[in-house]
Amino acid sequence: MLKSKIFLKKTKKGSILKVVREHYLRDDIYCGSEACDECPQKDEVLELRPQNPSSEIFPDPHYIIPDTNVVLHQLDILEDKCMKNAIILQTVLDEVRHRSAPAYKRIKEAISNPDKHFLSFVNEFHKDTYVERQPRETANDRNDRAIRTAAKWFQTHLFNTGVKVILLTNDADNKVKASQDGVTAFTVAEYVGSLKDNPELLDRLAHSKPSNAFDEGVQLPEHVSIAEVQKGLKSGRYLQGSFQASRDNCLEAVVFIQDKEDVTVFLQGNASLNRAVHEDVVAVEMLPEKDWSYPSSLVIEDVEGETEMDKEARKEKLKQPTGKVVAIIKRKWRQYCGMLLPVIIKTATRHLFVPSERRIPKIRIETRQAHILQGQRVIVAIDSWPKNSRYPLGHFVRKLGTIGDKETENEVLLLEHDIPHVPFSTAVLNCLPKLPWLITEEDVKKRTDLRHLHICSVDPPGCTDIDDALHYKPLDNGNVEVGVHIADVTHFIRPGTAIDEEARKRGTTVYLIDKRIDMVPELLSSNLCSLRSNVDRFAFTVIWEMTKEAEIISTRFMKSIINSKASLTYAEAQMKIDDSKQQDELAQSLRGLNTLAKILKQGRTDKGSLSLASPEVRFHIDSETADPIDVVSKELMETNSMVEEFMLLANVSVAKKIYEEFPDCAVLRRHPSPPPSNFKPVINVAEARGFDFCVDSSKDLANSLASAQLTENPYFNTMLRILATRCMMQALYFCSGMLPYAEFHHYGLAAPIYTHFTSPIRRYPDVLVHRLLAVAIQADASFPELLDKKKTQALCNHLNYRHKMAQYAGRASVALHTLLFFKNKVLIEDGYVMFVRKNALTVLIPKYGLEGIVKLAEYQNIMKFDDENTVQTIGDVIIRVFDAVKVEVSVDQSNIQHQHIKFKLVSPQLPEIEEGPPLKKQKKRK
Amino acid sequence: MAGLELLSDQGFRIDGRRPHELRRIQCRMGVFGQAEGSAYVEQGNTKVLAAVYGPHEIRGSRGKMQPDKVLINCQYSMATFSTGERKRRPRGDRKSQEMTKHLQQTFEAAVLTHLYPRSQIDIFVEVLQSDGGNYCASVNAATLAIIDAGIPMKDYVCACSASYIEDNPVVDINYLEESSGSAELIMAMLPKSEQIVLLQMNSRLHEDNLSKVMDMATQGCKDVHSILDTAVREHLTSSIALQDSSVT
Amino acid sequence: MAVDVRLACARVDRKELPFTNDQAHLVTPGDVITTDTGFMRGHGTYMEDEKLHASVSGTVERVNKLICVKPLKTRYNGEVGDVVVARVIEVGQRRWKVDTNSRLDSVLMLSSVNLPGGELRRRSEEDERMMRDYLQEGDLISAEVQSVFSDGSLSLHTRSLKYGKLGQGILLKVSPSLVKRRKTHFHNLPCGASIILGNNGYVWIAPILNEDTENTGGFIQNLEPVAAVDREAMARLRNCVLALAEHKMMLFDTSVLYAYEESTKYTVKDLLKPEIMDEVVELTRQRLEAEG
Repeated sequence: MLKSKIFLKKTKKGSILKVVREHYLRDDIYCGSEACDECPQKDEVLELRPQNPSSEIFPDPHYIIPDTNVVLHQLDILEDKCMKNAIILQTVLDEVRHRSAPAYKRIKEAISNPDKHFLSFVNEFHKDTYVERQPRETANDRNDRAIRTAAKWFQTHLFNTGVKVILLTNDADNKVKASQDGVTAFTVAEYVGSLKDNPELLDRLAHSKPSNAFDEGVQLPEHVSIAEVQKGLKSGRYLQGSFQASRDNCLEAVVFIQDKEDVTVFLQGNASLNRAVHEDVVAVEMLPEKDWSYPSSLVIEDVEGETEMDKEARKEKLKQPTGKVVAIIKRKWRQYCGMLLPVIIKTATRHLFVPSERRIPKIRIETRQAHILQGQRVIVAIDSWPKNSRYPLGHFVRKLGTIGDKETENEVLLLEHDIPHVPFSTAVLNCLPKLPWLITEEDVKKRTDLRHLHICSVDPPGCTDIDDALHYKPLDNGNVEVGVHIADVTHFIRPGTAIDEEARKRGTTVYLIDKRIDMVPELLSSNLCSLRSNVDRFAFTVIWEMTKEAEIISTRFMKSIINSKASLTYAEAQMKIDDSKQQDELAQSLRGLNTLAKILKQGRTDKGSLSLASPEVRFHIDSETADPIDVVSKELMETNSMVEEFMLLANVSVAKKIYEEFPDCAVLRRHPSPPPSNFKPVINVAEARGFDFCVDSSKDLANSLASAQLTENPYFNTMLRILATRCMMQALYFCSGMLPYAEFHHYGLAAPIYTHFTSPIRRYPDVLVHRLLAVAIQADASFPELLDKKKTQALCNHLNYRHKMAQYAGRASVALHTLLFFKNKVLIEDGYVMFVRKNALTVLIPKYGLEGIVKLAEYQNIMKFDDENTVQTIGDVIIRVFDAVKVEVSVDQSNIQHQHIKFKLVSPQLPEIEEGPPLKKQKKRK
Repeated sequence: MAGLELLSDQGFRIDGRRPHELRRIQCRMGVFGQAEGSAYVEQGNTKVLAAVYGPHEIRGSRGKMQPDKVLINCQYSMATFSTGERKRRPRGDRKSQEMTKHLQQTFEAAVLTHLYPRSQIDIFVEVLQSDGGNYCASVNAATLAIIDAGIPMKDYVCACSASYIEDNPVVDINYLEESSGSAELIMAMLPKSEQIVLLQMNSRLHEDNLSKVMDMATQGCKDVHSILDTAVREHLTSSIALQDSSVT
Repeated sequence: MAVDVRLACARVDRKELPFTNDQAHLVTPGDVITTDTGFMRGHGTYMEDEKLHASVSGTVERVNKLICVKPLKTRYNGEVGDVVVARVIEVGQRRWKVDTNSRLDSVLMLSSVNLPGGELRRRSEEDERMMRDYLQEGDLISAEVQSVFSDGSLSLHTRSLKYGKLGQGILLKVSPSLVKRRKTHFHNLPCGASIILGNNGYVWIAPILNEDTENTGGFIQNLEPVAAVDREAMARLRNCVLALAEHKMMLFDTSVLYAYEESTKYTVKDLLKPEIMDEVVELTRQRLEAEG
């Protein structure tokens, strides 16, 4: 059953390296066709009578064998429902895997879909289809030959069954050779074109070859070959990094150099960008220093009394290390949302597509349904970017809906942030417990019964996924017992199940203004796991014994059954505390908790924990149209901080426990200290107002922030905090085995160790932490993935990404709703200047938590910008950071794709601008 | 770039084997004239030569002499050309010393040591080419050499490695799989009685998977045993045929 | 000088001989020989779980109730009366340690040696001091096994004039199992050389000794150069013995002599070539078979 063949490869890698590899060729790999009687196989994948769409050029029943490039570039075709019975060779799969991870994932999904009847055939290990690389044959040629050999084999093998095979290749040379071998071969265009029943497929055809029709006289530099790049990278001539297109200028970008933090290379101009698309991994070459440039946003203006030399010198200072892209190491192309640019000629088939992400260039696509697609959000994929084209070439994938429609825009938002939002599959739903769900005897035995305790939950109004609850009980010895009860999600989500996979993939629940994309199905999130009042629920409980001074004497962890006595909102809880008439147990508990929380908070602040701020808003949504009718900033009450305090305490306690138990694989959360340079804007502002600002440690920062109060501007402190928040680093999940203990530090909370434990319904890291803790207290069995340090870290990275994306999506949703709110309105609002830039002001309107830019470009001739103190002087008006202003808010609808909120300064009033020439005169007069 | 895919979705390993398949094993016995027993084993690309001398009077320090059983003296060495990059020292480095110790323990458990008190058996193992599973190939070769030398043993000692790759136990791992960082379990056993003589684990493996990997290794050892047994019988038959013909 | 070089792959695999003996009961270590408890445990076997297992690979031999497994090759297992050729490796207190290819070094007591000048005189202190003069490290002797100690080591004696120190000659080492037990192991072959086929697998080839030296017990060394004719005969004999051993042919006077006679048509050095070895051995075998 085993045929073996050994070959020796020798590679030279500086020193001589002997490589020995084995390659076993087998005779037990079967063709996988139902039509075949010869192979003693089971589970045939390919159908007996392949019902492929009738092709005009090849009417016989057939299987198709796509070659590598077809799989790589024409996935949208292959994924179509009507494409069935394809044979994906291992040679092809391997190549795809090396060249594009997303494409590999997609083709794998197609293979695993039983309706597609895609067979993956392991031709490399089959004794008849294996080909050895011949001397002087390139790897590509060898692979092409392997594909042809396999196709030929299938043809011969299936000869008696009447089913034919077709090789799909876009490589002319390959096609000719295939015909010589007697294999039927077509290009994809030929094949798809002949499918008369499915004309829409043609639109999805990717453009593999640059057609001359797109020649716009643009000639971009050729990319350097891979071998050359490798050599260049080694010698240091080229640098590798990720390409980040500029948001504001499509001709500029920066490259973040790999492995070197804070090193960026600036790129400018079409030739320098050289067909790189946002997020691609590229190789760049530095330009000589004399050719260095600076971003055009830093426009150099004439400054009074400045000589040419000064100006040059100033320009010199602005210059950044500049380079040019010489090659693309890895494309990170994905599918993009956007719209088609309107065209004049109705029947034209070539269109320009404008992605909604500004960093992505326009994409040229070919479609015959342009008239349908006008005014619609569509999804487009990039296929290639030939060097004679200004724009990349792509093809249409699908349409989402009408532009401006809230559903469509939400969809765009989710797609753009890569948030999985399809409804839960049946496999996932099958994992749910059957209703009515009852607590069994066995459950009771395993858990501590805490149903007698006066437990209550405090949450924002309208919250249905209650994942935490609290209790407070004075003890006889004068101490108090405080408990935090967290929904026991891991009881329902067992590792390895479909529901676990799905939750892990989603990573977090995403909150949009009018929509919540759950991490776990609603039955769990809003019912079985939600710690609602007056029902028995499973919980994971942390109980501390504390002194009245909030010193922890002991900590216990247990799985429990609780029965919450009340689910309160923050306001309700606040009322209970404040209303001295209420003397029931609940009110007293809340008061006790509140007192402790204040002590805890004080202790935390003393240690240097920061209280930061970011403007948060709530929309009042019209119940019928679901459009926002009012915006208010979120109010913070004492009870908010009370709940927060105990959650923090629980998180820290759990973090310590799991780290102690699993020093190598605990899932923790860290918040790195920001480099002091990050705080420059805050320091500048504070010092401009006469405050000493020290940022050496989080404690110093907290003190500085606390002391910076302006009586005439009570909002000043909040703004300073908002500003400071923006200087922070991102907090990250990580696996404790991957970093030294010193780096576990949580800067914002001034805690040496921290994790997330308290929201397992909406965060997957908490689920992991629950599992770890359960193992640590012997309440549950461990399982392999839980203790695998590398896998855990990989998972943490994924969760960080999801977390970030969810945040971005949330913000985008706020922006979207703000836009809808201001649509057709013009309001004049109070605001504060957050930043002063050379040619613009950033203004925050606290009422809406809305931030916008006031453009000052039109005043550029009378502006004077003081870089040191960030003070802008326009005529007689002096604008400083944190100044109170009045702005007019309206929606700029001039660009249908990028509608945005427009701010106009109303007060202080800026001088009327006259036309250019008089100004100059004025200047001269001066 | 995507790393190596050690186990494909179709269930093939990087060299075309399925998870439960051993590499090709080839062996010869009696390759040296001088030694009492000798054998050469190829397990895939791992090639090992073993020679056994003795039992004979204790050489070197007599202090090592054991009054009730034979002293088993092993030496494991790797030829300088056996690895990808040339080795500086063929023996005496930490790794070889460890290997030596392991071999010694393994064979002390299997050889009927009480039969030869106060004497010594030398087992020399030389790895000519290394492609993973050095210990296993060494043990298998040494077993053959001991059998060739006519030294009484309880049973064959068969060794086999196993690993856990992408949620699948795999047997007899080669160098690529070994260096992928996944856990490697090395097992030497007396296949007939299923007694484990040596069990070693490199890097961590979760408890739940251990039994799966152990089962895989056990099966591997038994497969190795049947291959070795066939080889021994063949060797025996042909030699006896020679002897018979000369006696008649 | 003509050099004959051949590649390893040109080696003929002699294993492909058509002889297979299906009757022989072959076992490998760990095999269960019998579950019947009525048998006695012999060499090459062990008991476990009331079953008799083989501990070596080889053929099962049954003598009445005794079951042994005889391995293909093994170290020499001495028995009283065996003639051995041995090498002195150590001179000790009133004894020599000698290597007899057995598992432990054998001893030759001073008292078991015929000393020069009278067979039966008392061993004096003087003799003890003179031991190294009689036999020193590296000397070869022929001897007989006097007794076997409990740990398996052998005690030898040379108290016959045919035993004693060996002079000029060639030592060959073959597997002990190839030496056939005979009445005598000392042969003066008509081809002009004498041979001692030690039971321990050591074979000594020497020029034919004349009567008077033989009786000295070898203590008077004849260091005169051996005649070229004798040397050639010895060399030829050596190659013949080697060829026979290679082919696992039993060694005894007739087989050696026949092989010698069959080899005469080739030059001595040609006898090292495998195909010629094959031929010589085959002819020898035929002659032996013809004789019955």
